[in-house]
Amino acid sequence: MAKFVTIGERIHCISPVIRKAMEERDPAPILKRAKEQLDAGATYLDVNIGPAENDGEELMKWAVQLLQSEFDNVPLALDTANKKAIEAGISVYNRSKGKPIVNSADAGGRIENIDLAAANDAIVIALCSAEGIAADNDERMMHCQNMLERGLEHGMEAEDLWFDPLFLVVKGMQDKQMEVLEAIKMFSDMGLNSTGGLSNNSNGMPKHIRPIMDSALVAMAMMQGLTSAIVNPCDLRLMETIKSCDVFKNNTLYADSYLEI
Amino acid sequence: MPFNAKSGKFSASINTVEIGCGDKKITIGGENVLPFYTFDAPVENAPKVGVEITDFGLENEPECIKKYYEGCETVVDMAKKAASFEGVDFLSFRMEGGDPNGANKSTDELIAMLKEIAAAVDIPLVVCGCKHVEKDAELLAKAAEAVEGKNAVILAAREENYKNVGAAAGLAYKQLVGAESSVDINLAKQLNVLLTQLGVDGKSILMNVGSASAGYGFEYVVSTMDRVKAAALSQGDTTLQMPIITPVASETWGVKEAVASEADMPEWGNQEERGIDMEVETAAAVLAAGSNAVILKHPESIKTISKMIKELM
Amino acid sequence: MALKGLDIFKLSPKKNCKECGCPTCMAFSMKVASGAMELSKCPYFSEDALASLSEATAPPMKTIKVGTGDAEMSLGGETVLFRHEKTFVSKTRYAVAVCDCMDDAAIEERLSGAAKVDYERIGERMYAEMIYVNHGEEAKTDYVELVKKAAAVEGRVLILGVKDAELAKAALAVCKDSKPILNGADASNYEAMNAVATEAGVVLGVSGKDANEIYDTVAALEKLGNKNLVIDCGTSSVKEAYAIAVQFRRAAIKDGDRTCGYPTIVNAAVLAHGDKHMQAALASLFTMKYGSIVVVEQMDYATALPLYGLRQNIFTDPQKPMKVEPGIYPINGGDENSICLTTVDFALTYFVVSGELERSGVPCNLIINDAGGLSVLTSWAAGKFSSSSIAKFFEEQDIAGKIKNRKLVLPGKVAVLKGDLEAKMPGWEIIVGPKEAVQLVKFLKDMQG
Repeated sequence: MAKFVTIGERIHCISPVIRKAMEERDPAPILKRAKEQLDAGATYLDVNIGPAENDGEELMKWAVQLLQSEFDNVPLALDTANKKAIEAGISVYNRSKGKPIVNSADAGGRIENIDLAAANDAIVIALCSAEGIAADNDERMMHCQNMLERGLEHGMEAEDLWFDPLFLVVKGMQDKQMEVLEAIKMFSDMGLNSTGGLSNNSNGMPKHIRPIMDSALVAMAMMQGLTSAIVNPCDLRLMETIKSCDVFKNNTLYADSYLEI
Repeated sequence: MPFNAKSGKFSASINTVEIGCGDKKITIGGENVLPFYTFDAPVENAPKVGVEITDFGLENEPECIKKYYEGCETVVDMAKKAASFEGVDFLSFRMEGGDPNGANKSTDELIAMLKEIAAAVDIPLVVCGCKHVEKDAELLAKAAEAVEGKNAVILAAREENYKNVGAAAGLAYKQLVGAESSVDINLAKQLNVLLTQLGVDGKSILMNVGSASAGYGFEYVVSTMDRVKAAALSQGDTTLQMPIITPVASETWGVKEAVASEADMPEWGNQEERGIDMEVETAAAVLAAGSNAVILKHPESIKTISKMIKELM
Repeated sequence: MALKGLDIFKLSPKKNCKECGCPTCMAFSMKVASGAMELSKCPYFSEDALASLSEATAPPMKTIKVGTGDAEMSLGGETVLFRHEKTFVSKTRYAVAVCDCMDDAAIEERLSGAAKVDYERIGERMYAEMIYVNHGEEAKTDYVELVKKAAAVEGRVLILGVKDAELAKAALAVCKDSKPILNGADASNYEAMNAVATEAGVVLGVSGKDANEIYDTVAALEKLGNKNLVIDCGTSSVKEAYAIAVQFRRAAIKDGDRTCGYPTIVNAAVLAHGDKHMQAALASLFTMKYGSIVVVEQMDYATALPLYGLRQNIFTDPQKPMKVEPGIYPINGGDENSICLTTVDFALTYFVVSGELERSGVPCNLIINDAGGLSVLTSWAAGKFSSSSIAKFFEEQDIAGKIKNRKLVLPGKVAVLKGDLEAKMPGWEIIVGPKEAVQLVKFLKDMQG
């Protein structure tokens, strides 16, 4: 089994510092956040440039080249609603450390992002929803099937579609949590890869609680077969939990110093 | 429909390590496939074969080894002779006599001998300790200093003495550090991590993950090596991508199949043949399991294994 | 090999008609993969899809049986590539070689030598189980007569290396009841050889100039309905033979290519003709990597001792410890007056300790306790190597009646048992030995001195 893939979420235009840096093409704040996440053990970095309707193509190219030249072709997830920007990003992307990830497609209006990933030999995050959150796992799996078929039709390998069950917030949807975990098990039983914005579960909770909830959920989700997550790698407790779970799952070989490497 | 063989090539590879210096230096590792799987991807560096001599010279050697060193009066003479055997890529000098529970030779005496040997031969050197962890901490640190500039392998740093041996061999004198664990894959990994945390370059570490003679719990050796290679290549675990060096002779020439005289075991037949086959078969098996270098003793074994490697490449 | 839901889904009609009771074809595929539903609940799978799915659930490598009676043995049937994943099921078998191109004296020597190596090691009989009878280009003797001679060596399975269908038929006429292997099919003769092998009811060996030709010939034979086959890895070079042995095994087990899923023959006798040590090296190499049968020119103790030890190691169950028979093992001519040492019945412990004792040259008795096949500390912790279990074992075996010497050396790792043992075994002087076996030589010599 392959090691759990962590996708660092902290280069996101929702953060004022990052938004400003992107507007001004100021490398320093972006590189700083990238380095923090990589030092903390992130495999992939997510690059969210927002909707970027005007200069998306140029901005994504700039960001991809900036990050890959500074950090030995670090693999990236290209995160924007602007399809042209994703394509532009891939056009300058170096895949020696891993294929680019298209973030994201769904079974509704964004299903064409699967075609985009297929055409560019990229990985795609496939949200199991169409219009709004799936009502139950029957619906989730229906979306999953539709997207899988679409990918296979366009010549993708099944392993390059990473299915996202959509993690739900505990405060408000506590009774749906086990269903999400069951969906992960279904992906895993099908031999499919999965990912998701795991920390969504703890939205609205006190700051000191969130790492605890996120760690517990990641352990349960990895037990169900989750193969990746979009997380804050600077959350030490979470990263330690992931490394420990990787040992239990025999994804990495144990050594006394396993947390330090 | 022709045979559609899927390639078992990995995206990760074993570290490439050069041993020795000058014209005779050798290179091991670098492969991104399992041992001798040349049909998956080219294997650039063939596994290498070393010859072992010890500070006892011919004193403890069986007759069948002695005859190959006829005319040698000193250990240095033996070193020169050994370096000339067909198929030898490197020389391994084991300072067995340093063991406080054995002959307890002084560090100065052994280091003086090592220096003479290093001056006399130009093939790459592997320097082995006496297996006593405290004595080796001192002995191997001095050895690293004594062969400065030779890019030798210092075998080995163990969990108990890696700080001394690692610091001297890997940091102060820029030799190659052999990291020794005995069929314990977690410890093999841990030792590499500890050595790199000490500042030793991971690319100048070799592993001795343990050895045994064929028939003597050898399954542990096989599974340890299988799992090391799986972690290194298929999981891309950089802390286990160090090439493996396996001392074979020091194991096989001590078991009863090699030691028992023909007088004691008449039905077993010729003792020399038994010694050679035990060494050859054990070496072939550790190479099949993933060793990048083996250390042997009998010239006939060395010739045979070196030929087998050539035929497989 | 277990099928994943995805493999089934790819072949499913993808109609989501719900006739099977599942909301989607994907849900149905998952249920079939987990065994919760039968594939037949869906009326829309095509025949091709059904055929390839049933093929995919067959074992990846066939188990081929050869020989009869006590000499019957299984080849192949492996499910993994590495022993730490799961136990290998069919150990490598070794054959000695004779050829009709050899003169009578040489044949005589080989055949009489074939039975020379025959001993037991940890409960397993070690001998060359097969004889490879080759038909050479310049025959000096009658092939069928040679087959008769080889068949006369008791309890060996024959491998007939012959490509001429008529001659094969004649040879099988004299030995087919003992279920030999007919190693003689290739691209040029497989139809005729198939008829001969099928009629005689024996396993057919397939060779070819390279992997592709072997693969095609095997596929053609399968089409003729013959799946009772072994694959000859060829004699062109060691490199090629290794490539075939590894690639065929891997394609069968990892990629589920059933056409590759047959046992293999590696002919080291030809690959390293006349080079005994190289044959030993190759026998070892192919025992490690995927030879089901390895042919050597002859099997003597020098080759056999390490080889059979290696095989025993490789083919043991990783979960089960190897045990030696408990009892008294006299070493270096030990007798009733010699000192006693005791330890556990874990095979590795026994070999290491007995080896060191032999090296010491000191006559002694090694007394192996019944400790469940565990190592010293493990069995001690499990209560299987305690003062009471040792005392009880000594009483049951009447050690005190068989040995007069009253000195007993205990493994240093269980020094803690000394006091209790002295209390439970009056009359014995309990001596704490070294912690590691390597220190035994010095320990015994010091004790004598």
